Amino acid sequence: MKGKLAKWFSLWMVVGLVLAGCVTQTPTQQVAPPPAATATPTEAMMAEPTATETTAPEMGPQIDCMGAASGDTLSVVYQWSGQEEEKINTIFKPFVDACGVQITSESTRDDAVLDTKVKSVPPDLLFWPTTAPTLLYTDQLKDLSSLGASGDNYAQFWKDLGTVNGTWLAVPVKADIKSIIWYSPVQFQTFGYDVPTTFDELKTLVEQMVTDGNIPWSMGFENGAATGWTGSDFIQDLLLTLQGPQYVMGIIDGSVPYDDPGVVQAYEIYAKWASDPKYTVGGATGTVNTAFLDAIYKVFSDPPEAMMVKQSGFAGDEVKKEYPDLVYGTDYDFFAFPGAKGMQGGADYMMAFSDSAATKAMVAYLTSAYGAEVWAQTGFDISPNSAAVGKYTDPALTKKADALANASGFTPDLGDTIPAPFGDTEWQAIIDVVQGGDIPTALAKVAAAQATALGQ
Amino acid sequence: MAAPKIMKQGRVVPWLYVLPALAVILIFVVYPTLNTTYLSFRNRSGDQPASADCIAGSPCWGVFENYRYAITHPDMVQALRNNALWLLLMVPATVAIGLFISVLADRVRYESLVKSIIFMPMAISFIGAGVIWRFMYYIETGGNPQIGVFNALLTSVGFKPVPWLSTAGINNLALMLVGVWLWAGFSMSILSAALKGLPIEVLEAARVDGASEWQVFWRVMLPMIMPTVTVVVTTMVIIVLKIFDIVFVMTGGNFGTEVIANRMFKLIVTNTGRSMAIAVILLLLTIPIMIINVRRFREQEATR
Repeated sequence: MKGKLAKWFSLWMVVGLVLAGCVTQTPTQQVAPPPAATATPTEAMMAEPTATETTAPEMGPQIDCMGAASGDTLSVVYQWSGQEEEKINTIFKPFVDACGVQITSESTRDDAVLDTKVKSVPPDLLFWPTTAPTLLYTDQLKDLSSLGASGDNYAQFWKDLGTVNGTWLAVPVKADIKSIIWYSPVQFQTFGYDVPTTFDELKTLVEQMVTDGNIPWSMGFENGAATGWTGSDFIQDLLLTLQGPQYVMGIIDGSVPYDDPGVVQAYEIYAKWASDPKYTVGGATGTVNTAFLDAIYKVFSDPPEAMMVKQSGFAGDEVKKEYPDLVYGTDYDFFAFPGAKGMQGGADYMMAFSDSAATKAMVAYLTSAYGAEVWAQTGFDISPNSAAVGKYTDPALTKKADALANASGFTPDLGDTIPAPFGDTEWQAIIDVVQGGDIPTALAKVAAAQATALGQ
Repeated sequence: MAAPKIMKQGRVVPWLYVLPALAVILIFVVYPTLNTTYLSFRNRSGDQPASADCIAGSPCWGVFENYRYAITHPDMVQALRNNALWLLLMVPATVAIGLFISVLADRVRYESLVKSIIFMPMAISFIGAGVIWRFMYYIETGGNPQIGVFNALLTSVGFKPVPWLSTAGINNLALMLVGVWLWAGFSMSILSAALKGLPIEVLEAARVDGASEWQVFWRVMLPMIMPTVTVVVTTMVIIVLKIFDIVFVMTGGNFGTEVIANRMFKLIVTNTGRSMAIAVILLLLTIPIMIINVRRFREQEATR
């Protein structure tokens, strides 16, 4: 008996040790993979030979090495890993070939790891999915204009997002947009509906669908403890359409309270569409009880239960998984939220801690028209660089890029950007309003949470 | 054989025996409790006193600011009210059903089969039960047939489907039913064991004296197993106070179903101070029950 116990105990110890080992190993593997990272460019090149072949001949004259000598090193930190890391290395490849700069990369998602690095040996270049570092490391970051960044290739709102105290510190290299609506072109053709291009056209189309006896929206947003987030995306698109990106940025910085009449107006439109069974599948009950993934499927089922669903880019992959026979472009497709004056989505920004020749050369390359072209052809989401428009090979990316190019602003997700308790409170208010709650009362609570979150 | 030497140890040796247990309790119980209490008086990130989170012009309780939230905020008031409702309904329901089944099953041949079936849900985790029951309560709002058991039954006899989980008033009861389903087996098995332990002579004597079965149950059986009933009740009270998984999985605390533990979980990352204050309140609510339990236990031991 004793022997058995001892065996169990030692087994536990071993399991414990192994677990402990795993825990300490994983971060180091994620954080410091220099050998793997230096190996990836060649692998990535082999994986995507077409991209490099087409761009190879133009390489020499297009890249200005800014005096960087062969053998110079460039350290970069980013959050990308796996396929994304392969793509960024494909994009780095022409630059590496032209200038002979050796890139050492580290992939981490951890703010604390980044902070430690910046306080000891900062990387030359940082790619980060928020502009938060521009506020944290304002004094250490270099002015991008002085590094040779091509500012003309970026819309003013992009530069404003990365500017602190008049200095341009962060330039977006990659973006994805959420302000899109998925629909079935086949169904639209059957009923003679046209894709709306303005918000009024959208409203008219919705009413037309109701008159025809079709249900325009599939609004279901059930997702356990996160129930309501789909609704918050929809409302942000309504705000971007009715008020514009400045207004949304105002909500983020607190200058526009969340119970402002403009927000109330957006909620009124949303509440009508999301709680009336004529406008959405199952009315309010359907909206709060239907899982957000099921809501996507309802538009593409046979027969379809609704005509449109507002959901981010991933909806396309979900449709493909659920209905493998459907074809993108004919059976399912998307259009940008009609009349949205700005787009909501996520973006990765480049920031420089160094003004070495190699850093300058990379900044110049990625912000140049040629760098944008390489980015577009690699198909690493979309490039906010205006020179990338029309250079995409993927039709979905082309359409998204056009929508972004026509937008007069870009806003991050409200709920993700404003600290807690804003996000949860916003979802609660949306659920409440859909279930028939009074809009001003619900929004007053969110406004209070907004003030608390922003410390006002 | 002479008296073993081990019987004559000094004052230090016993401490050596309890040291490992003591160390474990210090590290895993005492320290976290103290740290939790400390953090409940700090602000949302724990780097300043709780009063730092006060907003000028709004009510503020100084370092007790997090407790002001935990006691007065509408979300918390709702959670506390719901927890009280859970206590009032789920605890008696579990005990009553457990007692009912153990008394009745005692009189049939297929007792073990009945008891196994009732006990089986105990093997399922809260999360699993939540997922299963979400399907039971599922409502299809589009054109497809109802796949949730309850709504399929309702529609098959011509009624309209009911959104069980999103209708305030019904949803709390729907969630409690899951809790009862999970825990009735626990109370049944313990009470059944107590019933089996009753001396047959006493019951026989009561029956010979002319007591009806009803009277035997209320006047003889129940008083005799009362200590066990208390143990089951106190255990259930503690379990229900901490109820979390069912609510988290099935409604996420939405539609007026919020409970204390769920709020604690939601706030743990975004506002440590408030989350810890809720944890302390939960602990304070549990302590009296623990004391009752321990006292009961001692009394029982003393009578042996």
